Amino acid sequence: MSPFDAFHLPGLEESDVERWETRPLGRDLALRFPLLHPAGLARLLARMREARARTLSALPVARIARAIDRAAARLADPADPLRVAADVALPAATGLSAPMARHVLDRALLDWREPALHALLADELGDPAVLDDFRPRPARPDTTRHVRAFGPALAFHVFAGNVPGVAVTSIVRSLLVKAATLGKTAADEPALAPLFARALADVCPELADVLAVTYWPGGHEAIEAVALREADAVVVYGGGAAEESLRRRTPPGTPFLAHGPRYSFGLIGREALTADRAPALADDVAHAVALFDQQGCVSPHMVYVEQGGEVSPREFAALIAGALERLEAALPRGSLRPGDAAAIHAARGAAEFRTIAGADVVLHASPGTEWTVAFDADPAFTASCLNRFLWVKPLADLGDVLGLAGPVRAFLQTVAIAAAEDRRRELGAALGRIGAARITTFRAMPWPPPAWHHDGRGPLLELLRWVDLES
Amino acid sequence: MLAPDDTLRSELLALFARGVDQPLSDADFNALALRVFAYQFERNAAYAAYCRRRGATPATVVDWRGIPAVPTAAFKEIPLVAGDPAAARAVFRTSGTTRGPERRGAHYVLDLSLYRASLLPTFEAYVLPDGARLPMLSLIPSAADAPDSSLSWMVTALLEALGASGSECFATPGAGLDVGRLSRAVRGFEAAGQPIALLGTSLAFAHWLDELRAHGERFALPPGSRLMDTGGFKGHRREVPSEALRADYRDLLGIPETHVVNEYGMTELLSQYYDAALHDHTRGHARDARRKLGPPWLRAVVADPETLEPLPPGEVGILRHVDLANLDSVLAVQTEDLGREVEGGFLLLGRAAGAAPRGCSIAADLLIQAARAQASGP
Repeated sequence: MSPFDAFHLPGLEESDVERWETRPLGRDLALRFPLLHPAGLARLLARMREARARTLSALPVARIARAIDRAAARLADPADPLRVAADVALPAATGLSAPMARHVLDRALLDWREPALHALLADELGDPAVLDDFRPRPARPDTTRHVRAFGPALAFHVFAGNVPGVAVTSIVRSLLVKAATLGKTAADEPALAPLFARALADVCPELADVLAVTYWPGGHEAIEAVALREADAVVVYGGGAAEESLRRRTPPGTPFLAHGPRYSFGLIGREALTADRAPALADDVAHAVALFDQQGCVSPHMVYVEQGGEVSPREFAALIAGALERLEAALPRGSLRPGDAAAIHAARGAAEFRTIAGADVVLHASPGTEWTVAFDADPAFTASCLNRFLWVKPLADLGDVLGLAGPVRAFLQTVAIAAAEDRRRELGAALGRIGAARITTFRAMPWPPPAWHHDGRGPLLELLRWVDLES
Repeated sequence: MLAPDDTLRSELLALFARGVDQPLSDADFNALALRVFAYQFERNAAYAAYCRRRGATPATVVDWRGIPAVPTAAFKEIPLVAGDPAAARAVFRTSGTTRGPERRGAHYVLDLSLYRASLLPTFEAYVLPDGARLPMLSLIPSAADAPDSSLSWMVTALLEALGASGSECFATPGAGLDVGRLSRAVRGFEAAGQPIALLGTSLAFAHWLDELRAHGERFALPPGSRLMDTGGFKGHRREVPSEALRADYRDLLGIPETHVVNEYGMTELLSQYYDAALHDHTRGHARDARRKLGPPWLRAVVADPETLEPLPPGEVGILRHVDLANLDSVLAVQTEDLGREVEGGFLLLGRAAGAAPRGCSIAADLLIQAARAQASGP
């Protein structure tokens, strides 16, 4: 078993390390990381803070974006050793199939290239140079007010989940606002963030000492106490008890930015269900389900299909099933934990009994557990067991969804709508009112644009503090 | 002359009456299981349809491991009864509320005598293997207070049949656990030098232990005292590993690990498994104390989670149970619980249902919890 160094800790000294740990990652790989001494972490953070003051805080944001772009380019290069390492480590760590992990990484890193970064900065800030200097606002020659934005000096990110790219995107946002950044990786995806950090240190030595990434078992209070005490902002993914515990331990006054688990779904209007358009739409739905093996916060749990189109909801479910079957060849479903496979069998068995009992339920399923489409006439919102298990439910009118959404409101994120544009706007407004953060198409569903309002908030703006200069 | 079903029923009752330590050969178990399967196939149209979809009928199934198992989730969808659901003497429901996106599983029980006949000798074998008759203090509401809880029915039956005087329930569904009254009663038995048996869910014990800790209270219960806990923390924010709980039982109650027995049961089964700890201790065995043992009329299969085929011993898979006491419902139940077969039993490695997704999408359980909180909120 070859060890993978799942950390990037600039200036680490052996005395900072309490002990080295190795844990198996899949069958053929082991993860090596230093369990830090709390005092060692404190020293590291002090060095990072000092390096930030020396380099990062004076570096123009355009140069930071350039450096991030160069690091992403290394990960995009199939021959680069860092990319080779990613291609081995990601499937082993995340459970995703190798083709899926490659596909996700290739697409994710487009968001760390210069065009995407410039789009993010411009969209969020208007004038990105507010990160570098006082800038007139409004941008008129006669203005008497100038503004400048400061990010936190030190941001502590706690990652969760197995979706590759989420951690790096969070780090990228943090670096763009010139924060020295400590990332604690998730057990299910400990690979990509350290590889990105290594790439960045290689391409831009000035940034080598402001980004640290490592792993420790979540909830290690002595280590986390140091990080929480030292950080000027805390960014936490994953929600649940881990988030609550971190929130409790974060000093009052330190911004605590949380991204908890989310529920996404889709709506298809009858006008989109023409015989010629439906197959391509079913392909898009299947792709949105299959991507990340449905583990993404943007992955749909279910799709409501309006009755009265040329293609019926029941027929549309069969089209999605066919599309999922075809996708299995190009982007195979990954490996499952025992409980995940059991949950699929359980959900299928329960659906089968509903059919037997006379309910209007039609189950489409692969011979193994690879994919499942369950058509169910009961319109209640349902949570999928995920790993490519989609519920398809008919609605007499798409607007009926608003009366059904109660149970998912608090978790609502992305809603893909295939319908006439005026209906999309109308439904989008109504869904936004009850909590949806993003209305999109099925094709775009898996990949929000870089400047999207992640969970309804500005990804850079929420990290910033503004200073006004009046004259 | 008895109808054939009554023959099978009385044979089963006779088998249960022999007790847990009378072995049942593989061949005998197989023969009985296939007869129960045929009985259910004939009387439960939904189950028969489910079996036919898998090409399994009493004519084709020759091994009890091949009897089609019903996932526990199916108990939420349809009454699974070999007979008339309206004739049920009890309907036991899984936890949850009737509101919100989840449905509660329902186990229709036509004949409570099978439940009683199975649970009493099993509890005796694994919790009272020394033949002790002790006051039983229950942290679980009584059957009168919680008529749709199979656990409450079981505990009430245990208190009535095997509890010495002073046996009592200290919880109600409405008010929860009466910590003060329980602590006073336990203190009384401690002072009198009377060993007791405490029965409760792990969650209720964790709650009581928190209270004891908060008030700096502890007990040194007389030797022979024991404790049966059950259930994990599924659906609750609180999680206490069983090792930590057992340490607390020792330190705050004075009950040694040898006398702590975890019960593994479910609403969908009328028979239960227990830790081997006290059974082993009484017989001077020293094997894995936490392996689960059940009566001879209950058998477990560790199945491949992907194919549902039985796995070789030692491999981790999902547990399937074949319970002959489930004569009137379905005998083969597929769980989402993880286990591993060990010599003379299996280890329960966690109740897999509700495992958190690996990514950032929400778990079904969390959504259900939120809906429940919403339904019970202002």
